[in-house]
Amino acid sequence: MNKKKQKRNFVLICLAPAVILFTVFMIYPTINVFLMSTLKWGGLSGNKTFIGFANFISLFKDMNFIRSCQNTIFLIAIVTIVTLALAIIFASILVREKIKGQNFFRVIFYIPNILSVVVISAIFTAIYDPASGLINGFISLFKPENWETIKFIGNESIVIYSVAGALIWQAIGYYMVMYMASMSSIPEHLYEAASLEGAGKLQQFFSITLPLVWDNIRTTLTFFIISTINLSFLMTKILTTGGPNGASETVLGYLYNQAYTNSSYGYAMAIGAVVFIFSFILSAVVNKATEREVLER
Amino acid sequence: MKMKKVLSLGLSVLMCATLLAGCGSDKNEATSAEGKTLKIAGLNGGYGTAGWEAVVKAFEEKTGAKVELQLEKNIADVLRPVITSGKDVPDLIYLSVGSEGGLVDTMIQEKAITEITDVLDMKVYGEDIKVKDKLIPGFTSSFSTSPYGDGKLYLAPFTYDPCGLFYNAGLFKEKGWKVPTTWDEMWELGDKAKKEGISLFTYPTTGYFDAFFSALLNETAGPDAYKKAMEYDVDTWKSADVKKAFEIVGKLAKYTHPDTVTNATTDKAFTKNQQLILDNKALFCPNGTWLPTEMAKAPRADGFSWGFTALPKVTADGDSYSSTFSEQVYIPSKAKEVDLAKTFITFIYSDEAAKLFVEKAGTVLPTTTASGFIPEKVKDESGKEIDNEKKLFYSIYDNGAKSDIVGFKAVEAIPGVTLLTDKGILYGSVNAVVNGTMSVDEWYNQVVEAVGKYAEK
Repeated sequence: MNKKKQKRNFVLICLAPAVILFTVFMIYPTINVFLMSTLKWGGLSGNKTFIGFANFISLFKDMNFIRSCQNTIFLIAIVTIVTLALAIIFASILVREKIKGQNFFRVIFYIPNILSVVVISAIFTAIYDPASGLINGFISLFKPENWETIKFIGNESIVIYSVAGALIWQAIGYYMVMYMASMSSIPEHLYEAASLEGAGKLQQFFSITLPLVWDNIRTTLTFFIISTINLSFLMTKILTTGGPNGASETVLGYLYNQAYTNSSYGYAMAIGAVVFIFSFILSAVVNKATEREVLER
Repeated sequence: MKMKKVLSLGLSVLMCATLLAGCGSDKNEATSAEGKTLKIAGLNGGYGTAGWEAVVKAFEEKTGAKVELQLEKNIADVLRPVITSGKDVPDLIYLSVGSEGGLVDTMIQEKAITEITDVLDMKVYGEDIKVKDKLIPGFTSSFSTSPYGDGKLYLAPFTYDPCGLFYNAGLFKEKGWKVPTTWDEMWELGDKAKKEGISLFTYPTTGYFDAFFSALLNETAGPDAYKKAMEYDVDTWKSADVKKAFEIVGKLAKYTHPDTVTNATTDKAFTKNQQLILDNKALFCPNGTWLPTEMAKAPRADGFSWGFTALPKVTADGDSYSSTFSEQVYIPSKAKEVDLAKTFITFIYSDEAAKLFVEKAGTVLPTTTASGFIPEKVKDESGKEIDNEKKLFYSIYDNGAKSDIVGFKAVEAIPGVTLLTDKGILYGSVNAVVNGTMSVDEWYNQVVEAVGKYAEK
């Protein structure tokens, strides 16, 4: 009797620190965000006025918010699809083909992932520079003297693609290395059997490789979508500060501006609440949509 | 066995102690409490820290008080949690209205600043003249120092920076071009320059349009209308004279260097736009008198020399305006040593402090005597003595240009509507106008609509 109680107490004490930390740093701030979203508040002093759902109502009429949502969703879609597709392809090539220097490529591809967003923005500012950037300089070798350089960041229609490019470059390595690890565990005899039956490389890829790593892809997909919401904010904050006249403004960037530059903290918290709910729903949808039967090896 | 236990206990204590390594503060603790302690926090910006350090030292010697000076590049981020908590709030803050981080603007909004109208009637420290007579007229009646429009002073004007158009005087001499005095001459020059592959205009970021546009409004609509416009009077904004200012900027957009928007958009890349003047790729750039110091180390075309002019006139017999930009210092309402802070403000305006500020940092105070202390000669990069360009800039009003002060009245923020910052509807849209994705009419209508929303509040 005593021993059982002792054991239970011991378990509770061990769990306590983690539970406390989780409550204080995760649960409490989240509840706080929802509470603050019902206020009209400047963000510094104690003058708070309760206004209920008024913030949310003005939010859905706010064209700038709608546009920033569109930009964010666009970035999530493009960056996720392109990154994961390229990562899977590269991983499959590096694992299946006997290419010299496999480890060397792994390192090279992975390096962008360890760079901070500030460094990546600095690199891409130089690459995208309208006067003497890497890309413009290269293209101008083949073009006549008076050709106008491409304004990767100054042009409102392509700035979002420029940001997507930087985000993809940064993320490919990490996912490639992860998929390489899970692909290496697929036994070789499956491929041998398939090629004996006349399956080409491509068919082997879609029939053997992909289904067997699908569970891994599913987990990284959810994780990546959420991290893109955060990373897109960081990247646009430094590379484009929201783009020419808001063309590359993300939903978190808009939140930041409203909170600090426009002294509308309650409104910003309403945006935060919407983003929170949206991420939950998105993860749930993605999870459900990609559900497959787990295949036995 | 016991040794092992002691050793492992010692190691775990050591590990726990490293948890506390993160604690500790950056600020120097006050080692002595001789007299009182004044806490000053401010921006380490274009003017650096040398001026403040010298003036603070002089103040300490004169009064026996101790001063804790904290100047940071990101002071708004550093101060925000301090102000929110209300504990250990600095007694004096050096940060301007409209600065990055929105700290000052939010504090004005929330009425968290001490009124300092009584400072105007105090005597300048160590001198026999009242502060209000020492200051250049106009500086204390603008919305950046008296934001609520009630005649009471809340922020003390700190710098005196004429803003205007910078250009390469050497290039103009070489080509035999005359600096335009009217906007028609400006367009002619623009066409001439285009033939040589040089753009007429560039701008660092859209944030610099506050000084430029204010001066332009004064030129097209006159100072009375300008004052009403700064109070969000919708009828003034709907007038044709005000619309003319938008149209001039719209035409200027067509003469703007094509790389401008890209460099204005990327964080911290605005110096590339300023570089265009130095490289003879663009002719004019709106800026303030800190520009030569900011670009001191930048390479430049042969024969380059700084030229500075007020905005061209709208009509031949109209007025030419050049905005005066001013930074501010203020006392938060939760400050402890309010009287000591007010004494410090009176000291800032003294000749002694003005001399120190201008010699160590190139900062010119808005007092009647300060611009007289600008040294005639300074040392350039190689240590050679050259004429101090600052003297040229401060003589801009001697040549007939009129001055106006930048600043809108402080109003309650409207969620989702940002009018004034560098990304706001008024100035931020310039990037889209230059790109051609927004027409002048669209820009104008959006501004009028936003002004209407503020006017309703």
